[in-house]
Amino acid sequence: MSESVSDADLVERFPWVQISHDSKHHFRGWLDKKLLINRCADCGNWHHPPKPVCPTCWSENLVPTEVEGTGTVHLAMFLRQGAPAPGVDYAKGPHPVVAVELDGTDGVRFSSTVVDLPVEEVIIGLPVELDWIERYGHPFPVFRKREG
Amino acid sequence: MARRNPMRDEIAIVGVGSTEFSRDAGGVSPAKLGAQACIAAIQDAGIDKNEIDGVVGALEPGAPRANQMSAILGLSDITHHSSPMPVAVFALVDAMTAIFSGQCDTVLLYYAFTRAPWNSRSAAQDPFRSYLGGMMSGGLKAPPMPESIDPSAAYTAWAARYIHDYDVPRETFGRVALNMRANAARNPKAAMKTPLTMEAYLEARMIRDPLCMLDMDIPVDGADAFILTTTEKAKKLTKNPVVVHAATAGMVGKNDEDQLPSLARHGQHVVVEALKERSDVWIDDVDVFFPYDGFSIITLGWIENMGFAKPGQAGKWMQDNWDDELGCVMIDGRVPMNPHGGSLSEGASRGTGHLREAVTQLRGDAGERQVHDAKTALIGCGGFFFNSQGAILKRL
Repeated sequence: MSESVSDADLVERFPWVQISHDSKHHFRGWLDKKLLINRCADCGNWHHPPKPVCPTCWSENLVPTEVEGTGTVHLAMFLRQGAPAPGVDYAKGPHPVVAVELDGTDGVRFSSTVVDLPVEEVIIGLPVELDWIERYGHPFPVFRKREG
Repeated sequence: MARRNPMRDEIAIVGVGSTEFSRDAGGVSPAKLGAQACIAAIQDAGIDKNEIDGVVGALEPGAPRANQMSAILGLSDITHHSSPMPVAVFALVDAMTAIFSGQCDTVLLYYAFTRAPWNSRSAAQDPFRSYLGGMMSGGLKAPPMPESIDPSAAYTAWAARYIHDYDVPRETFGRVALNMRANAARNPKAAMKTPLTMEAYLEARMIRDPLCMLDMDIPVDGADAFILTTTEKAKKLTKNPVVVHAATAGMVGKNDEDQLPSLARHGQHVVVEALKERSDVWIDDVDVFFPYDGFSIITLGWIENMGFAKPGQAGKWMQDNWDDELGCVMIDGRVPMNPHGGSLSEGASRGTGHLREAVTQLRGDAGERQVHDAKTALIGCGGFFFNSQGAILKRL
């Protein structure tokens, strides 16, 4: 689906982030509900946010690679105020923001929120999995608690 | 590879000028505040304005660029000018290297601050500041998502990690805030002088849990300026030149805010290693200590990474070195920490307040805050990601 979305349209759909030629694949992935993390086809190292060359070996042979999205909360904070977003109501309670260390990526972290969990249960070390909600009419990656 | 330091003690600060720092300077532009500080610094140095051939002005939102300040002050011909990124030591190092390399002989270095519409209610109502709103968004059509871990949010996220790793109470952070406030009460230029108790800290409004309003520096209007020249020339100008013994920036490659390897290895560690190699003195020789406090977690980082306390022990260390009478840290009963009140209570001058107070203390001009016979000051400026810096200043 995202293949048919022009660069101009991509920028239009995500007006709150600066998208570049280096990060456009990552955000196109969102439209298909795929979390794409850059992996170097030459040395195998992962990195995020997307960079123009592999920071390890400088190869330009980077592959936006879909990850399963399971991981562990590494950083966690709770916004009592912050930028506006659909579905985020600071008056109703703190909004969790987490950096999740993604499984199988050698420590790459991806930052978002945790949904459908009381904030006191959002703790560092929590196992989570990727899910998608809708924001401004487009898929937005979030995490939820991983059971088991 | 041994780090070289050919500039050691070769560049001196011979003039200081500052405005007050206030939460609302009224209808005064950052250009005017900057000009007032620059004029005061030039007069303090006792030089003619035509002797200035270098202008370095920190790239703060709303602040005049170096070319604009030169025009404002009607300076003579300039052979080095620049507008380095914040925080304070970037501009200091730029001024030093310009002089040392011969690009110029005498630098006017200034930092001007103005509260922005996004961090002050009264500033948001000032029509002359409205253009700054566009600078914040970087030209984007919508505000960032709440989940964007920008530099300031990232300090809260890593503060949470610190609490997790070392199992410390909020009082650890509160002690940083209390230290700054007690010191600010002794600084006529400070913005926040009302006494602060631990109870009040613990009840203060949470902004990004686990950090509250009192863990974040206080937006202010104000300006600092300095005159720098060669130590050789400084000796002819003044009886008490203050020299820069060592200065450095520090950053690890992996410095994206949420990708930082850990609290055990970031920009502050690089700064400490470089400063130690470039300096003849270290923490046992220091008379005044200036850890940056844009966020309280940054101060804890400097205390530990400089080697005053072990990782996770900054809170206990502050407690052990607490002067109950003064209500602040006195290391070994003698060395204060940000005696001017720091960014948390003097005002968010992004390290320039630390630099100015260091010079003031080493010149013996700090009044009731004066550390007896202060000879050496250690500054740890900036945070963890891409603005960590350090400097050691000495009285010649």
